[in-house]
Amino acid sequence: MATKSLRQATTGRERASEHEGFLRYQSYKWLKIALTLCGVAVLIYAFNDVQPKPNGGTIYGYTTGTIGILLILWLTMLGVRKRAITPGRWSLKSWTSAHVYLGLSLIVVATLHTGFDFGWNIHTLAYVLMMLVIGSGVFGIAAYASLPQALSANRGETTQIQMLDNLRTLDRQLNESAQPLDADGAAIVQMALADDPFGGGLVARLTGRYSKCGTRAALAAVRAHPSRGEAEADPLDHVEVLLERRRSSLSRIRKHLRLKALLEVWLYIHIPLTFALIAALFVHVVAVFYYW
Amino acid sequence: MSFIVRTVARTADGRDIVRPKSFDKAELSVGRSPSSDIHLPDLAVTLNHAAIRIVAGGYVEVVATAGLPLVVNGKSTEHQRFSAAQGADVRIGSHSLEIEPGEGEEKGSVIVTVSRVGAISNASEDKEEAHVFSLATVLPGKRPLAWALAILVLGIFLVWPLVSIHTQPIDQTRKVAFHADELWTSGKLSQVHKTLENNCQACHVKAGEAVRDTACAACHTKVHDHADPKKLADARGSLGIVGATKQLVGGVFGIQPGRCVECHTEHQGTTAMPVTDERFCTNCHGDMSKRIDTPLKNAADFGDNHPQFEPTIRFAGADGVPMFRRVSLDANPKEDSGLKFPHDLHLSTTNGVAQMAKTLGKGEGYGAPLECANCHTRDATGTTFAAVKMENSCGACHSLAFDQVGGTIRTLRHGEPAQVIADIRAFYRAGAPRNGAFQGMERRRPGDFASSGQRTAFAQTSAMHIGNAEQAIRAVFSKGGACFDCHMVRATGNPTTPFAVTPVSLTRRYMTKGWFDHAAHDTENCTSCHAVKTSRWAADVNLPKIAKCQECHGGQDAHKAVPSSCAMCHDYHRTGFAPLMVRDNRARGKAVEHIDEKAMERAGGGI
Repeated sequence: MATKSLRQATTGRERASEHEGFLRYQSYKWLKIALTLCGVAVLIYAFNDVQPKPNGGTIYGYTTGTIGILLILWLTMLGVRKRAITPGRWSLKSWTSAHVYLGLSLIVVATLHTGFDFGWNIHTLAYVLMMLVIGSGVFGIAAYASLPQALSANRGETTQIQMLDNLRTLDRQLNESAQPLDADGAAIVQMALADDPFGGGLVARLTGRYSKCGTRAALAAVRAHPSRGEAEADPLDHVEVLLERRRSSLSRIRKHLRLKALLEVWLYIHIPLTFALIAALFVHVVAVFYYW
Repeated sequence: MSFIVRTVARTADGRDIVRPKSFDKAELSVGRSPSSDIHLPDLAVTLNHAAIRIVAGGYVEVVATAGLPLVVNGKSTEHQRFSAAQGADVRIGSHSLEIEPGEGEEKGSVIVTVSRVGAISNASEDKEEAHVFSLATVLPGKRPLAWALAILVLGIFLVWPLVSIHTQPIDQTRKVAFHADELWTSGKLSQVHKTLENNCQACHVKAGEAVRDTACAACHTKVHDHADPKKLADARGSLGIVGATKQLVGGVFGIQPGRCVECHTEHQGTTAMPVTDERFCTNCHGDMSKRIDTPLKNAADFGDNHPQFEPTIRFAGADGVPMFRRVSLDANPKEDSGLKFPHDLHLSTTNGVAQMAKTLGKGEGYGAPLECANCHTRDATGTTFAAVKMENSCGACHSLAFDQVGGTIRTLRHGEPAQVIADIRAFYRAGAPRNGAFQGMERRRPGDFASSGQRTAFAQTSAMHIGNAEQAIRAVFSKGGACFDCHMVRATGNPTTPFAVTPVSLTRRYMTKGWFDHAAHDTENCTSCHAVKTSRWAADVNLPKIAKCQECHGGQDAHKAVPSSCAMCHDYHRTGFAPLMVRDNRARGKAVEHIDEKAMERAGGGI
C-alpha cells in the first residue's frame, strides 16, 4: 500500500499509472518540510545559550512548545479528515504524508522543547505519551509498508468470507462423514466443529498461536483412536482427511487474522494514547501557567 | 394413536422445506441412527438417544434412552411426561422437537416438528464479517479506551492537584508530606529550598501569577537591593531582541523585570543553587559608564575585560591622619602601615636572618631559612590570614629582654611606649647592672643573640650601662634602637613621655569589593603570586596584578584552567563576606576541606 508500485494498463489506450504511496508523495515533499523544521529547531537550539540549563520556559521553549502543541492538535485532525475523502492538493494522501512526516518531526521539536529536562511529573508524562504515540505510529507505517503483501499472499485469490465459507463446507462434510460414528467418535469431531476460528484473545491473534485448538486436538485423537487398524477401512479415515483439511483452512484464516491484527493493533495504542496525550498536554499548559 | 413428524429443512436461500411423515404407532425412537423414526443428523445426539411415547390419558412421555439428558421446556431431564394437549418443546443436541396436538384433519395425532436450531459448527454460525475479522472482538473499543485514558489523566493530574491546592492549608498546619500539586513540578528544588518541596504555594502564591519578589522576601528578610532601583534601571544595557520580546510579553502578564528569579533559577535539580550567569552582571557592568555616572570601571569578562585590581590603600593624610583610597596596582601604590619591614631580608636563604633561623632550631619552630608560614598563619576561615603578632612572629629573634631578676627575664612592654619609658626609668632608679658584653641600646640583631650563647647572659648584660635613664630612652627610640628600626618614632616634646610610636595598622583586606579565598589556592606557593622576595619596604603592596590571576582564571566561558564568572569573586547582594559561589563550595576542587564552614557562616552567612 505504501511503497508498492503497481503498473496498470488499460485496454485501448496504453496508459501506465504509477502508484505513489503516502511516504513518497510528491517526491517526499513533506519529508523535506519536516527535515527543514527539525534542522531549524536543532540549529537554534545549538546556538541558544540558556543558563543555567535549557528548559521549556525560555523563548525558544515557548516557541517549540507552541509549534508542538499545534502540530499535535493538527495531526489529531487526521481522524476527522480521513472520514471525508476528497481529491486534490489537500487530498487524504497528502494529509497522511504530512501526518507521518510532521509527526516524526515532533520527536525533534518536542525533545528540544524539553531541553532534556525530565522528571516524574505531568510534563514528562506528556512527553512520554507523545513518544509512545509516535512509536506506535512508526510501527503502523512499518506494518502498512510490509504486511499487506503478506496478507495478500496468504489469502491467495480468495476473500475473507470465501475463506470462512471454505471452512463451513468442510464442517458440513465433517458433520456428514461423522454420522456413522459412535458417541466417542462423534465427540472427537465435535471438538473440531466447536472450534471458534475467531476465538482466542489478543495474544493468540498477534502470535497466531492457539493453544486450545480443537481441530488439532481432534486430529491427534483420531490418529490415536484404538479402532484405527492398519489395513481395514474405517469411517475415521475420511474424518482424518477432512480434519487435516480443516486444520489447513483454519491456519490460513488464523494467519490472515494475525496479519490483520498486526495491521490494526497499533491503532489501539495510537488513538487512545493520543487522547491521553491531549489531556496531558492540557494539564501541562495549565500547570505551567498556574504555577508560573 | 399416531404421530405426524414434520422435518423442516432450510435451503441455502433461507426457505423452509417441510417433509411430513406419519407414524401409526405409540412410540417413536429418536437418534442419529438412520433407522431411528426421527433421524437427527447431529453429532451431539447418540445413535439411539430418546423415545417419545403416547401414554393413556392424553399424555405424551419423553424418555432419554442413552442416559444423556434432554431439555424439555428449558428444563434438563431424563424423563418427562406432559399433556398432549399442551405440547412441549424438546431440545436434543442442536435440534428442536416441537410437540403439539394435531388440529383439524390431524386431530387426534401428535405432531412433532423437527428442525435444526443450532449451526453444525461454530464456524457455521452467523458471523458479521467486518467485526469478527477485526481486533474489535478481542479488545475494548478505541473510543472507550481514549475516553478512559483521557479522563484518567485529567483526574490524576488536574483534578487531584487542584483539589489539593484548594483544600490543603498553607500555614504552619500544613503537613510535610506529598501534595498532589507536586505532580506539576518542573524539577527538584535546589538544596537550600529542599524544605519547600512539598509547599508549592510558598513561592507560587497566586494562581497564574509568576513568582514575585515578595515571596522570596518572606523568608529572605536581610537581602538588600544591589543598588538604588532607579539607578539599576538606568544602568541596564540593551536587552536585545530576545530580551525585549521577553520583557514585552512579560509586561502583558504583569511580570516586572529584575525579579529575584531572573538570576536565581529554581527547579534545576537537587544541587546547590546554580551560580548566576555572568551575563546578568555584564548586561549592566559591561559598558555601564556610558549610561550612568559612576566611579565603577566597566567590566565584561575576567579573562579579557576587567580593570586592574584597585586595593584599598592606607596612607598618611594631612597631619598624619590615616586615610584610605583605592589605587590601581598599575600605579605601584605604597601603603603606610607604620611598620618598617623588609620582606627580602627576612626571606633570604643565605643571610644572617637565615642563619639565625637555622640556629634557633626546630624546637623554636624554625630550623631552616624563614618561610612565609613562620609569621603568617591562616585564620579560622582558611580564607585569609591572622594578623601578625610581634610576640609570636618576631619575638624569637627580636627580643625585648633587658634584665633578669632571679630566673625571670624582664622585657620592655611591646606596644606601650609610655610603659617602656617608665620601665627604663625604674630600672635606672634601682641601679642598673653593669656588664661589658653589650654596648648601647641597639636593636638585637639575629646572630648577636645566638652568638652570645645564652639568653640569660644577654638579659643580665642588656647593655644598660649608658650613663642614665634619659640617655637609654633616647637610644631605644633612635636609629639603631630596639623600637626605631621597626617602628615610626616621633618625639612628643613632652618630657614625661618624650617619644611615641606610630600605631601599626596592618591591612586585613585589600580587596573590599571583591573576594579572594586563599584556601582555594593551596595548590600554589605564596611566592608564586606575591613577589615578596624582592620587596625591600614594608610600604610595598605585594598583591599580584590581574595578569597573574589571568594565568589560570578566565571568563565564565574561557578555556582556562579555572573559568570564573563574576560570582566567583563578587557578590550581588554584598554581605561583606564570601560570595554565594564560594560559600556553596562550588568550582573550588579540593580546597573545600580547609574551610571552616561554621566560621564562614558566622562571618558572611545569614540568609
